[in-house]
Amino acid sequence: MASLMQVGPGPAKRAKRLVAGVVFGVLGRGTVACARLDERVRTEVMTWPDGTVITLSISPGSPRTTIRWEGGRLKALGSKTDAESTLLVSFKSVEDAFPALIGMKSVLQPFAEHRATVKGDLALAMSLVRCLHIVEGYLFPDIMNRRILPLPAKREVGHLRAYVALLGTSADLGVPSAASAPSAASAVASSGTSEASGTKGDTA
Amino acid sequence: MIPSYYEFSNRAKVLSGEAAIDHIPFELKVMECARPIIVTNKQLIELGLLKVVLRALAEGGVQVGAIYDDVPVDSSVAVVNDLAAVYRDQGCDAILAVGGGSVLDTAKGANIVLTTGSEDLNEQMGNEIIVARAMVPFIAVPTTAGTGSEVTGAAVIKDIERHTKMGFVSYALVPDVAVLDPRMTVGLPPRLTASTGMDALTHAVEAFSCRQANPLSDAYARAAIDLVREYLPLVLEDGRNASARLAMANAALLAGVSFSNSMVGIVHAMGHSCGGQCSVAHGDAMGILLPHGMEFNVDHAGPRYAELLLHLAGPEVYASTPAADRAAAAIETVRAMLQFTHERAGMPTKLSEVGVTLEQLPGIATAAMNDGSMTFNPRYAEESDVLQILKAAL
Ligand SMILES: [Fe+2]
Repeated sequence: MASLMQVGPGPAKRAKRLVAGVVFGVLGRGTVACARLDERVRTEVMTWPDGTVITLSISPGSPRTTIRWEGGRLKALGSKTDAESTLLVSFKSVEDAFPALIGMKSVLQPFAEHRATVKGDLALAMSLVRCLHIVEGYLFPDIMNRRILPLPAKREVGHLRAYVALLGTSADLGVPSAASAPSAASAVASSGTSEASGTKGDTA
Repeated sequence: MIPSYYEFSNRAKVLSGEAAIDHIPFELKVMECARPIIVTNKQLIELGLLKVVLRALAEGGVQVGAIYDDVPVDSSVAVVNDLAAVYRDQGCDAILAVGGGSVLDTAKGANIVLTTGSEDLNEQMGNEIIVARAMVPFIAVPTTAGTGSEVTGAAVIKDIERHTKMGFVSYALVPDVAVLDPRMTVGLPPRLTASTGMDALTHAVEAFSCRQANPLSDAYARAAIDLVREYLPLVLEDGRNASARLAMANAALLAGVSFSNSMVGIVHAMGHSCGGQCSVAHGDAMGILLPHGMEFNVDHAGPRYAELLLHLAGPEVYASTPAADRAAAAIETVRAMLQFTHERAGMPTKLSEVGVTLEQLPGIATAAMNDGSMTFNPRYAEESDVLQILKAAL
């Protein structure tokens, strides 16, 4: 029997995980920034059940990034948080995540190719993907967007304002009214918020 | 066409043909099981279908642990947990599900509960997250030829308290044995035969043209469509034609293997929400929406539809149709099939015929956008696109 060879992941895979960690951080903050800047993302987020905690990660567990939607506020919690995810998207390996993270492939691709697992409500995952498409439209140049986005990127503010907005980690959107709850059969009813008004905030 | 990456699994052992059900005792023995729980519903018992299974088990010396016949039309968490409790109380060691989609989904849900020991099904909800060395041994006997559930890794279960539909997708959910016995489907009324047949056809067409189509799932889809083309007219002509029934059961199974791996697209996304919002029967929605979904996709999936013409219409039509016209001809063939089932069995051809109103369409479109099947559609659709397709199908 051959002796056990001690082979590590190697520098290339380590570098990919490092890059992935950075991009995850940007995507987390970018989603929060877009919730402030872009009506479409705001509308999506307002349909999420209160207490939603979404984590993107690469198996076996890191890097990762988490965002939380609670009490009308969307917050980027970064990579170090104990918050328990209600939706966990986990790429099966760093190689499965990398092309989508550096803008070489659409974020839909890993889902369509069995490259990612999703723990939680698949309807919420669909909403997240729609948000990420919009976020990518702000983060990446259009030459890249043409390759990775299903439709041409539409922006409600310029790239620059979006980049500046990445400095913030939370967005106060207000508590959704009952009317804005999703009518999807699969969507979780957002209970207990019917008396609150659906005010939109824009605090950085 | 070969995708940059794909995965494929078909682990179910298939027993197909005359007296297939009589092989269940042997299969149980091979899996070292002696006390199966039978999952079914009262209607199937009344139709006498269960008796065929029970006689086979008795003859093979199998002691049935329990018969669970309380499965409703829509599977729910309460029923799944109840079934799991009966299984444990009666000391069962295998699940034998005899029925249509909801029976098989309930059995899959109970299998998740029993295998993972999870008290809350919510924890297991999602895509490819079930972790288990081995599931409870599971034999599926479909009583319709459509869902393909006997070979798929998907289940949908209602959480009535939380008003949600929970989706579970995992290769772990695929039954160990799928039993296709014509005795189970010869009594299926023409209307249901047509509706479930169109569901099977839709599985094959969508699997073949969706983003994850691959050489293995393609082979199953092509074979499925060939059988539907040849045998759907025959079973609608004479429901007692056992070999035609068996062929349609095979078509549904083949299409099931295909879409369990390469998934379905916009037609199913819209069909699921028509079911959820307006209680439209799944197969009816499939028949009505398939040509419309294909129209929408044709600019992106044209070459794939063109290939399907060979299977939808047969070699003569394929060979005599100029290459540039084949995709459109494929869509026309599907339309003609729907029209045929309409004339022969009263299949609806428009959403308005199944009670859907114009006012309901926006809600259906929103729900369709949140359906996981959208991910795999060859052409990206926005909510306004979905609304337009639904209007055209009204
Ligand atoms: Fe279906």
